[in-house]
Amino acid sequence: MTIYCLYIFDRHCNCVYYHDWHRTKRPRRADEGGGLLLGVSHAISPLPSSAPNSTPETPFTSPRNTLSTGSGVLVAYSGDSIQSQQSTAQSALPLLQTQGAGAPSVVTPSTSSPGLPFDEEAKLVYGRLSGRDESFVSYRTSTYKLHLFETVSGYRFVMLSDPNAESLRFVMRSIYTGPFLEYVVRNPLALMDSRERGIDNEYFRASVDRLIRGLSVFQ
Amino acid sequence: MAIFGLWVINKAGGLVYQRNFADGLAQLTSNEYLVLAGTLHGIHAITSRLSPTGSSSGAHVIEAETFKMTILLTPTGTKFVLLTSLAETSANAVLQKVYEAYADGVMKNPFHTPDMPIRSEVFDTKIAALIEPGHT
Repeated sequence: MTIYCLYIFDRHCNCVYYHDWHRTKRPRRADEGGGLLLGVSHAISPLPSSAPNSTPETPFTSPRNTLSTGSGVLVAYSGDSIQSQQSTAQSALPLLQTQGAGAPSVVTPSTSSPGLPFDEEAKLVYGRLSGRDESFVSYRTSTYKLHLFETVSGYRFVMLSDPNAESLRFVMRSIYTGPFLEYVVRNPLALMDSRERGIDNEYFRASVDRLIRGLSVFQ
Repeated sequence: MAIFGLWVINKAGGLVYQRNFADGLAQLTSNEYLVLAGTLHGIHAITSRLSPTGSSSGAHVIEAETFKMTILLTPTGTKFVLLTSLAETSANAVLQKVYEAYADGVMKNPFHTPDMPIRSEVFDTKIAALIEPGHT
């Protein structure tokens, strides 16, 4: 019994958060311009291009800059914050990994990963979800089970788990009522519904991680 | 405990057999059934690509809030889909029997063209005997 990963989609069908635990077949990094938002998950976010960002943002538009100051960890969450600290993508990559102790999902980018690029995978996962008036709950294949939980505000929580797992809707519901409400909805710096940026932040990620690791189905 | 319907989908995603076993189901046109079967065919292919751990089969069971679909994929690519209530536990066994009936009543019929709609009285009666007595 285990839990593989969690996706959160907003009502515009964009993947705004991704977190994985026991995945052996990881998604590849999304290609630049593949339709993936910034700040979804640093493990699979598009690599920052070495060309200067054409849409410069002030540091305050990135909630991570503020959140990371207290922790003393150099946080490189997304393309534009890396851009402001490092001039090239190559030197930014080690930074992503230095954070590993705090965020267990951080991985060294695998060059030989056989999976789909993340943006394509996210679209496929989203494509499995039906509309509001229908009532899709889960499906099971020989190797995994997909669970769906949809909120009234249109957020869709999707979890992949072991095929023998019981329904995980209560878990996704507690992520929604706990960490999501506390660290995303109540975070004045998190851009909800921005259509440009995911909702990932350090506290939300750590809190979700703690919640999932505390479950009896997680081993 | 109820069986609502049975679909047989050929390897190209076309619906070759469809039958309802319960009253009061939503009435769909045959065209709508064809679209649904084609959609399921695509979903089945996608679900096998999404596996987080190595290669996977396509979806075996798709659950909704009020019903579930159990899918049996044969080695030749034909899919048997059974729509049942959530509490139904015999879906896999029923599908195996349906597969047997298909092999006997359809594939052994020299006048049947593979992957074309099934119009066989033998198959019809076998299915009726299999599913309807216990569930009407």
